[in-house]
Amino acid sequence: MDTLARIKDLASKEFSLDAQALDPGAPLDKLGIDSLSFIEFMFKVEEEFGVSVSDEDLKGIRTLGDLERHIAAALTAAGKA
Amino acid sequence: MTQRRVAVTGAGVISPLGCTLEDFHRALCDARPGIRRLGPEIVQGSGVQVGALTDWKPAALLAEGEAANLDRATQFALGAAAQAVAASGLDIARAPERVGVYWGTGLGGAHTLETAYKQIYAAGQWRTRPLTVVMAMNNAAGSNVAVRHGLRGPFANYATACSSSAMALGEAMRTIQAGRADAIVAGGSEALLTPATLAAWQALRTLAPADAGNAAASCKPFDRRRNGLVLGEGAAAFVLEDYSRAAARGAPILAVLTGYGNSCDAVHISRPDRDGQVRAMREALAESTLAPHAIGYINAHGTATAVGDVVEAEAINAVFGEAAAQVPVSSTKSLHGHLLGSAGALEFAAALLPLLRGWLPPTGFLEDPDPACKLRHVPLRAERVDPPSAVMSNSFAFGGSNVVLIAQRA
Repeated sequence: MDTLARIKDLASKEFSLDAQALDPGAPLDKLGIDSLSFIEFMFKVEEEFGVSVSDEDLKGIRTLGDLERHIAAALTAAGKA
Repeated sequence: MTQRRVAVTGAGVISPLGCTLEDFHRALCDARPGIRRLGPEIVQGSGVQVGALTDWKPAALLAEGEAANLDRATQFALGAAAQAVAASGLDIARAPERVGVYWGTGLGGAHTLETAYKQIYAAGQWRTRPLTVVMAMNNAAGSNVAVRHGLRGPFANYATACSSSAMALGEAMRTIQAGRADAIVAGGSEALLTPATLAAWQALRTLAPADAGNAAASCKPFDRRRNGLVLGEGAAAFVLEDYSRAAARGAPILAVLTGYGNSCDAVHISRPDRDGQVRAMREALAESTLAPHAIGYINAHGTATAVGDVVEAEAINAVFGEAAAQVPVSSTKSLHGHLLGSAGALEFAAALLPLLRGWLPPTGFLEDPDPACKLRHVPLRAERVDPPSAVMSNSFAFGGSNVVLIAQRA
């Protein structure tokens, strides 16, 4: 499973959403994901991929697509990609 | 202007004796115990042997991801509150700012905190779930009830140990009487059967060991053989409502909450005090303008500790005088265990049984009444009676907080 698919899979479980229907370009709040829920979700994403996203980077994440790019970059930096 | 009366228009129960008011009442009528031997995964090294677990299935109410983000005590609260709101038929959307939440809990999110501490201290993992704070905080249960039902009126959360939820009901009554809300979802929840919490309780030397012959019979209030309380978990919730509005909308009126006594012993942090209990009972009677003999049933605090049961019996005798020989008294903790912060609300639900159905709930396993607890007991089995006009429920807490509620037939 590629990175985006894994993120969508996690998000669908966390927020009881249909993974197929998740638009990676949609703002998180449009998906019904508020900031607190997102922080809890990030905790699980970091566990899943074994990377960490800095508070600074977190502020720039507005969509699941943004999240994918950060995770992919973190995996590359960690030599895990 | 006369003070507004307060009706009980809905009730919900999540308890070791069943997860609806009807199932709870049926179990009390059958004297069916919810106490059992606890499994090794809960007991671990605590030494505790018995408890009263609730058979809770969150899937009926919460999505999988949702349940994982709510402490067990909050899940119980949502379950009980949803039942109470549905039963009342209250149209919250009409004026949500006139409907509040008054809740009670002792420890709050015990499971959440213990999970976090276990990770940190036992596993050395300092990375804890970001939701730990909002799941564990003491007001999480009540606040989630407000969020789920959109209740924007007054909010309060009481943490006075074993009187917490009784106090929530009493203070909710006051708030409605004062005209500051038209209805309030009031109750309490507790879920603290975790290894470390059990160990702390065990250290207090107040917990009953398993009865040698029958683990379900380990809690024996008022019995000569009593040797401590048994911890339980669960929740109970009620919709309390301005009587005239409830009547006008044709709401089901289960009872009228007419008396609330609240006193503090102010003598010792854990030892109960007769005079403090007497003051609370007298205050509730005075507010209800009832003579003691008008009370047709008392749900005692009755934890089955050596000292506590005697002090409460003395207090009841001091308040009721000659009427004490006639007023039936039972402690339903013998069956559902001690639910601590949610005990007052759950036992208020037990006290509604005689009012609604004409059954006196029994003190289970009371075979050998202690002469030092001279009361008109309801031993072993429920008794059929003409529904009394008024009932009392006592909740006496560590910290010396005493709360007494009186409900009358609608």
